[in-house]
Amino acid sequence: MADSADRYDRRAFLARGASTAAAVGLAGVGVPALLAGCGSSSNSPAAAPKLSSPGVATGPPRRGGSVTVGLNSEIDGFLPSASHFDNSGLTYANTIFDTLTVVGADGTAKPYLAQSVTPNNDKTVWTITLRPGVTFHDGSPLNADVLVANIQQLQTSALTGQALRPVSGAAKVDDLSVAVTCVEPLVAFPHYLATQVGYVIALSQLESQNSTHPIGTGPFSFVSWEPNDHLTVQRNPHYWRSGLPYLDGVTYKPISEDQSRENSLKSGTIDMMVTRDPNAIRDLAHDSSFQQVLNPSVGQGDMDFVILNTAVEPTSDPLVRQALAYAIDTDELVRLFGAGVAKVNLSLFPPGSPYRPADNGFPTYDLAKAKSLVAQAAPNHGGTIKITLATITDPRLLTEIQAIANMWGLAGIQTTVSEIEQVTFIDNLVTGQFQAYTDEMFGASDPDLNYVWLSPTTATGPIALNFARNKDDALEAALQQGRTMADPSVRAQAYQEVDRRLSLDLPYLWASLATWSLTGSDAVVNFNNLTLPDGSRALGFANGIFNPTPMWRKD
Amino acid sequence: MVRYVASRLFQLVFICFLISIFAFLLVHLLPGDPARTILGPNYTPASHALLMRQLGLNKGLLAQYGTWITNIFHGNLGSSFLTKQTVTNALSVAVPIDLELVIVSQVLALAVAIPMALVAAMRPNRSFDKVATTSTFGMLSLPTFVAGPLLVLVFAVTLHWVPATGFNRLSQGLGANLKSVILPSVALAIGSITVYYRLLRADLIATLQEDFVTMARSKGLSTRYILLRHVMRPSSFSLLAGAGISIGTLFTGAFVVEVLFQLPGIGFQLVQAIYADDYLVVQGMALVAAVAFVVVNFGVDFLLTVLDPRVRRA
Repeated sequence: MADSADRYDRRAFLARGASTAAAVGLAGVGVPALLAGCGSSSNSPAAAPKLSSPGVATGPPRRGGSVTVGLNSEIDGFLPSASHFDNSGLTYANTIFDTLTVVGADGTAKPYLAQSVTPNNDKTVWTITLRPGVTFHDGSPLNADVLVANIQQLQTSALTGQALRPVSGAAKVDDLSVAVTCVEPLVAFPHYLATQVGYVIALSQLESQNSTHPIGTGPFSFVSWEPNDHLTVQRNPHYWRSGLPYLDGVTYKPISEDQSRENSLKSGTIDMMVTRDPNAIRDLAHDSSFQQVLNPSVGQGDMDFVILNTAVEPTSDPLVRQALAYAIDTDELVRLFGAGVAKVNLSLFPPGSPYRPADNGFPTYDLAKAKSLVAQAAPNHGGTIKITLATITDPRLLTEIQAIANMWGLAGIQTTVSEIEQVTFIDNLVTGQFQAYTDEMFGASDPDLNYVWLSPTTATGPIALNFARNKDDALEAALQQGRTMADPSVRAQAYQEVDRRLSLDLPYLWASLATWSLTGSDAVVNFNNLTLPDGSRALGFANGIFNPTPMWRKD
Repeated sequence: MVRYVASRLFQLVFICFLISIFAFLLVHLLPGDPARTILGPNYTPASHALLMRQLGLNKGLLAQYGTWITNIFHGNLGSSFLTKQTVTNALSVAVPIDLELVIVSQVLALAVAIPMALVAAMRPNRSFDKVATTSTFGMLSLPTFVAGPLLVLVFAVTLHWVPATGFNRLSQGLGANLKSVILPSVALAIGSITVYYRLLRADLIATLQEDFVTMARSKGLSTRYILLRHVMRPSSFSLLAGAGISIGTLFTGAFVVEVLFQLPGIGFQLVQAIYADDYLVVQGMALVAAVAFVVVNFGVDFLLTVLDPRVRRA
């Protein structure tokens, strides 16, 4: 059970702009942040928080007051079927909407707005039963008709449709139940409902397609939104979770500059902040004035990597991709830019994941081998391998890709670096107009949520969610096995094979685990302690996303 | 005088017309296809053609300009394709921020620069003049992106006197409003203080060498009286011209400060829109900023003609 805050979806692809897709949230594509994070998708990051359970209160809750939260980005609207929700967008959405399921502290998807989500025997039909008596902020009831309309809209959307490609239809069973039919067994279906496609909006917003005035069932209702300035919400007095939320209101302030956000927290301008800047994470971890929550140890966080377009020269050449992989000294990159909190990770999966093979065969730094491969491949590319490596406009990221370019240069690869605005960046990914980009994605509560990003079935056409355009039948077979098989051991084997295939194909040059932190002043408590209707605990803050429902102010 | 003002007004209208043409052409000059950008993943030839029709981009340039300028006169500058917010609404957020930033920063700058220049000019090359000249030299070499964070570190992070980021509107209380603009205004004022001080000091010293000043002194008038009554006015023309340019530039040039302090002014929103290829926002913001620059400088020119008869006779 987890609340939507725990979704592993993320940023940007969906983050403003461009694309499609997918998945909505499922695994968002990300912002190119090679070493933005640290290794905390697993346990014990280098900069450990000072409190044993930061963000978890032990005393009785206090009602009233409001909290101001600094986020790292702004979004383009509040329509789950059309807006590009990044981590900030998903946090906004968790505030105003609810998802049908949320990921629990144990990593499983548990009912939330839905009372139950049950499959038939072969998991091709999932019946979603809604909680009775839930109303939207406009007073309209949540019922099966609304849910069917939401699902149909999500299915036909260019943005979310590909994530729901396995879904063939949704039909009302009774006033509160909807049967969702899939073309094949979809084992991870409940996890999908904890992502962007799991939010349910009011019929009035659905029909008007108003992306600037959201109407949900969530703990807070919309008050005002001025893009790039603030989103203000107020307590929903009719929230279906009795007694929640505790705060009267929340104001989100997008503060794009990491340092400005950190200064705002330290000066008391904001009460909490989200960041993925390793330097800020380190600084705040050692400041006793604050409580810091890092990525959870359950599930999979985002990965930082260089994505290579396998459909364009020269990165279409496997020898070139191998040379690029062998030429990157990831340890050195992490040392230079990780601020002591980043951790190297040369796999799709984090350490400790059942899906991570003991040895995935990913190339490790070997400059001599890289040079040899370059010598071998260069004659096929006019004698010199030339490549353009890009990232989004961010001074820190630019420095990182310059370091990579230097490493590639040592291997004899001529590298040009460039910065690209995020919307264009994502558009280029989707349309395949790139050679090498740094990126960050693949956070997912279930590995099947990454299907759209990895499958050869989404690697062709003018718009492809498999940005690397990697086509590998063996990879697809393993992905299908993971998608349709319920047996955990079979799934584990399938995804281990996925990881090995990716190490062979090399569409992604893995670098590190992307770590996020949520840091609050001591006045704000219980911000990482969402409990679910069945009394169990939600996963909590993950990948820059959280849920404000359980928090309150001490003062 | 009337003829002069009418002539300047005609120039103003003509320049605004030229600006409108350049702003209009921005959509066509910027790389990429606006309709393609707006559609993103929803791009199909059919949807592209439909959007081109909706945006009027399938018409001739002259017709497009006619529609666009007509819409502007009706207060319709279009909408952001990202946020769906109208450009007019975005401007209603941005303009008050910039206006206040400009006013507060320039009042601060003038309040510091004018007395400093007067004192320095009264006794040139004496200790105060040397200290003032040296310190303003130092301020000149202190870029906004250095001064801003330093101010934040001291007054927001350490002393907690003012917020580090954000803008509080006047409706949220005068105190809260001033607290939110004081640091960015000081950061902006630092550069202006130096320029204004140096311009005014030089002009004051030059004017003090004029015969009419010697005459005034021979009549036994005090230096202070001479400075304020007879010297200040003829010495303020360079200052006024400099202020006009500075104020006009700040409407968009304050974007570094706006980013540092997260103030969604015109410069901040314009830069965001440029990065996002949000064409209509770029167009609208650029138009307003350019017109503001021209209007401010027209105002300064007008003021100069009032203060200096030589200007209107020229």
